[in-house]
Amino acid sequence: MSDTPVLDDRHKKERYEALVDALYQDVYRYAYWLCKNGALAEDLVQETFLRAWRSLDSLQNDKAAKAWLFTILRRENARLYERYRPDIVDIEDQSIADLDENEPDQRLDRRMLHEAIATLDKDYREPLLLQVIGGFSGKEIAEILNLNNNTVMTRLFRARGKLKSIFIPGGDSDDDLDDADLEN
Amino acid sequence: MDDLEFRKRALANPHDTDEDFVAATSSSPERMQLVQEIQALDKRIVGTINAVAIPANLAARLKSHKPAASRPATSVWTSYYAMAASLVIAVGVILSLGLQSANPSAADLQLHDDALRHVYREEPRYDTAGNDLSWQQINAVITEAGGHLRDDERIKTMHIKFANGCRLASGTGAHIVLEGTKGSVSVLIVHSSPVKTRFDVNDPRFAGKIIPFGEGNLIIVGEKEEPLETYEALLTDAFEWVI
Repeated sequence: MSDTPVLDDRHKKERYEALVDALYQDVYRYAYWLCKNGALAEDLVQETFLRAWRSLDSLQNDKAAKAWLFTILRRENARLYERYRPDIVDIEDQSIADLDENEPDQRLDRRMLHEAIATLDKDYREPLLLQVIGGFSGKEIAEILNLNNNTVMTRLFRARGKLKSIFIPGGDSDDDLDDADLEN
Repeated sequence: MDDLEFRKRALANPHDTDEDFVAATSSSPERMQLVQEIQALDKRIVGTINAVAIPANLAARLKSHKPAASRPATSVWTSYYAMAASLVIAVGVILSLGLQSANPSAADLQLHDDALRHVYREEPRYDTAGNDLSWQQINAVITEAGGHLRDDERIKTMHIKFANGCRLASGTGAHIVLEGTKGSVSVLIVHSSPVKTRFDVNDPRFAGKIIPFGEGNLIIVGEKEEPLETYEALLTDAFEWVI
């Protein structure tokens, strides 16, 4: 015998709230790094969870919830935001020129890394964010981004390679390698 | 595994635990050193990516499906259309609406004026302040205002250069100044009647927010374009009243 509508609603609410508690921080971080603006990130997260609430029944397995939410968020970002936002509006980007030379090393390092990650090419930044924030494997990232696994691994290689060339100078550079060669 | 393949896998996932990668890593000191370097860099990358401050009460708002409290009810996307048309006009409208739509009382506006006057008056003192203050020095001032700042690594890494008691709206308060991305940022926590609702500081030079904050008010004032919501989130997380 199926639950009554009241129980169904209560169950849905409990499931949704558990989803929020478990994942809202990661979803916000991902949103922030996608659009690099706190206010817009919050809007994206609100819209993402609103859509998640409306279509919660379509989520069959709660273990897949993070990938499901991240996919919704990417879609909302593309639909609402990327299409309209002028590239120059980036109010929360950190500017190295603004840094105080007397700041503690750790803070300076974090700001420089923040800047470097924020300015990575989007194709390289996104897989890195999904790996770090989402904890996704290369295969899972490939599914979310609709790419093949080799392309994802190449983009992760490029992302870290660029950061490494800035923060660990003197090592080998991989800039001259073709993506096609790397993906073979 | 050749060197290029090894290098590709080390950079793509320096924490790869597949047997072939682990074996390839231990096959030479150079490879071990490379993986260690990338893992150390990755730790910094993870720390930076995860250091983004989460807005206060976000989970509660998501559960209630309420819009963000910090911004006008109009869609942010509508604002961006306006911004594309005229950024200057949009900023002007937002600033003026910020004060009007919040509908602050006369007492709230008095607090607004007093806070700005206080910041201007103190500026010569904190502008010449040099070294970072210790956590104990900061908390001593906050304790005088009736509060306590819980240990928070994100705040501890900030350059906090000034902390002093103050009196605003007949209440005792703490005035903390830290170095933001655009210049100094003043944080005033005042034990006084909370304002009716949060509203923006309206000043030709500074941007700011006045926020009801439990037993008092949180006032954040910084240069234009300073991301003040970051500091609001940090303070909201770390501060507690102990009155």
